[in-house]
Amino acid sequence: MKTLRWAVRALLRSPLRAALLVGVLSVSIGLALIMITVDGAFDERLEEIQSQVGTTVTVQPAGSFGGGFIFRGGFGGGAGGADGEGGPGGVGGGPDAPDAVDDAATDDEAVQATLTDDAVEAIASIEHVTSYSRTITEQYTGDDLIGGTIEPPANSPFAGRGPAGGFQVPVIVTGTDSPTALSSLGVENVEITSGRTFESDEGEASVAVIGASLAEANGLAVGDTFAVNEVDVEVVGIFVTGTQFGDNAMFLPLDTARALFDREGEVDAITVQVDTAENVSSTAEEIRVTLGEDVADVTTQEAAFDAISAPLSDAADSSQIGMIAALIASAAIILFSVAIVARQRVKEIGILKALGASNWNVVGQMTLETAFVAVIAAVIGALATFPLAQTVANGLVSDPTIQVGGGGFGRPGADVTAGAGGGPAGNLLGEIDVAVSPEVFGYALVIALGLALVATVIPAWYVGRVKPAEVLRYE
Amino acid sequence: MSNAAVVTNAGAAVLEDVVKHFKSGPDIVRAVDGVSVAIPRGKLVALKGPSGCGKSTLLNLMGALDRLDSGRITVDGTDVSGLSGAAEVAYRRDKVGFVFQMFNLMPYLSAIENVMLPMELRGKPNAQGRRTLAESLLARVKLAPDRHRRRPTRLSGGEQQRVAIARALANDPPLILADEPTANLDSTTGEQIVQLLRSLASGDRTVLIATHDTSIARQADLVITMRDGKFVRPDSAPPGD
Repeated sequence: MKTLRWAVRALLRSPLRAALLVGVLSVSIGLALIMITVDGAFDERLEEIQSQVGTTVTVQPAGSFGGGFIFRGGFGGGAGGADGEGGPGGVGGGPDAPDAVDDAATDDEAVQATLTDDAVEAIASIEHVTSYSRTITEQYTGDDLIGGTIEPPANSPFAGRGPAGGFQVPVIVTGTDSPTALSSLGVENVEITSGRTFESDEGEASVAVIGASLAEANGLAVGDTFAVNEVDVEVVGIFVTGTQFGDNAMFLPLDTARALFDREGEVDAITVQVDTAENVSSTAEEIRVTLGEDVADVTTQEAAFDAISAPLSDAADSSQIGMIAALIASAAIILFSVAIVARQRVKEIGILKALGASNWNVVGQMTLETAFVAVIAAVIGALATFPLAQTVANGLVSDPTIQVGGGGFGRPGADVTAGAGGGPAGNLLGEIDVAVSPEVFGYALVIALGLALVATVIPAWYVGRVKPAEVLRYE
Repeated sequence: MSNAAVVTNAGAAVLEDVVKHFKSGPDIVRAVDGVSVAIPRGKLVALKGPSGCGKSTLLNLMGALDRLDSGRITVDGTDVSGLSGAAEVAYRRDKVGFVFQMFNLMPYLSAIENVMLPMELRGKPNAQGRRTLAESLLARVKLAPDRHRRRPTRLSGGEQQRVAIARALANDPPLILADEPTANLDSTTGEQIVQLLRSLASGDRTVLIATHDTSIARQADLVITMRDGKFVRPDSAPPGD
């Protein structure tokens, strides 16, 4: 304690210098602590986002990845991108999609591209797979229903060139065995506006949930029936998605759809839920190996995650660079300061050595002085972290409330981020909530002691070179 | 002092053909040029000579603040010329006490803390014991009690030198090396300091004063005159020898 007291007194011989050193160190240590805190918040948010969007694996027949009506008219899915435009995975869809329906419908080889329930059973037995849902997708070809019409946007190349009354949208029928989750309908913003979705015990029932445009075009309401391949199907619910194509879709229980379209045991897409985001890649790879890449295309939501988290990842990188720069600056400041102090106190070092102080006695005292300054600066820096961390975090993320758009013309039955239209698919990035915990004082202490340790380098080198006779000779 | 050669000698210090040269550009300065002497115990010895004759260099060599080029110095049975590392540190701490011309007190410590400093470095236990001893040493050098807790900047030159002498006595060394201890003091104060040093030279404690002041040399038991790095002659024999 006495040594500490002496160290403090040695510091206070030059209070202005000590105050300046504490001030400059406080800024750099505070910056480092803020960056550590912000980086932690970014990592936490990235994990949350990954857990929200990153645990789904989509399995489709080989060759169908990329979307469009590759098989029997199924809309191509894709990961959502930012700004409401087609994202990195949002391929397919758009104005070219109807042509793809025709092409695919006449392609005999493509008709063979299906998965079966055997593949589903194989997937179910893979470790980390927690659940799955199956879908088949068909284009309605009967006479009982007509699709709604869409007008090309006024600024599009197709404006004014289509048939009178607009283009007629094909009616896409999707059979799914996960009827209770709205997300299973393939779009993020599905809202049942009338009736209900079908129940899990209606697996073979002749019931359907149809889009609002389709209902309007055919004058259908909840409770009405229509014919699909000569079987009467009852409308139990009507939904809206906010997109023209999505609102012309129809959903049936999987087994009902299989029976109506003579596709017993077949699957067009399997949506697999994995237990954790960390296991997604390995599970996807195991599915590829199990099914064979010539049988199935296995896709994850990495692209979606990358798109959503890009601003956050960039900010996290910036915060890490800032943290390292701040720590280097702190070390440089303290080294420079100690070097100056050591030179200024060369005579004092000589006297101490003449009195019988060992090199380590002298280095120890200088280290103690440095540690004291560093601890004071670290405490100030830690206190500054509380009010400033949130501001810095907001400044580092380019747009913390960025909207994540749907992937263009998405495939019904796909994952939560595969949009059925180009609208916002949700604010997945969200606000970055930086909670500064008392642990910051622990980090501060570690940094302070680390700096004090670094600061021993110069005294240890310098004090060893001081020869008392030389420094005291010219008094 | 594991690497120190211990020799048996009745003198407080024995110097045998001690040489210390410095390079000064192309020239060689022969600061100490082959001096030999036996300094008796318990005496006040004056090392007299003009500035630059090698007095301070010789004191530094005897105090292990500098290394000699050749020869041998033995202090209280310890071969100083063979010291290094921890043994050298222990020698400076336990065997010699320095009194400098500029006092060289630690400015951030009080008078009593300056005296306690060598005890701290020695690792003497019992803080209260250290304080009591420091107070008694300050009393011995006649520093008024109300000055004990003052920092050096609030003490006069004479008071600072008294504190420096008390500090030199802190670990009860057998040899006190005083380098021009009165050069920065007025004559009256300088005289008091010499009398104080004179009183310390007794029993096993020897005091060696480097000075160019002949009035100080007159009070010494033995005067050694240096010129150009060499001893000229012993001016007087120690009383009783």
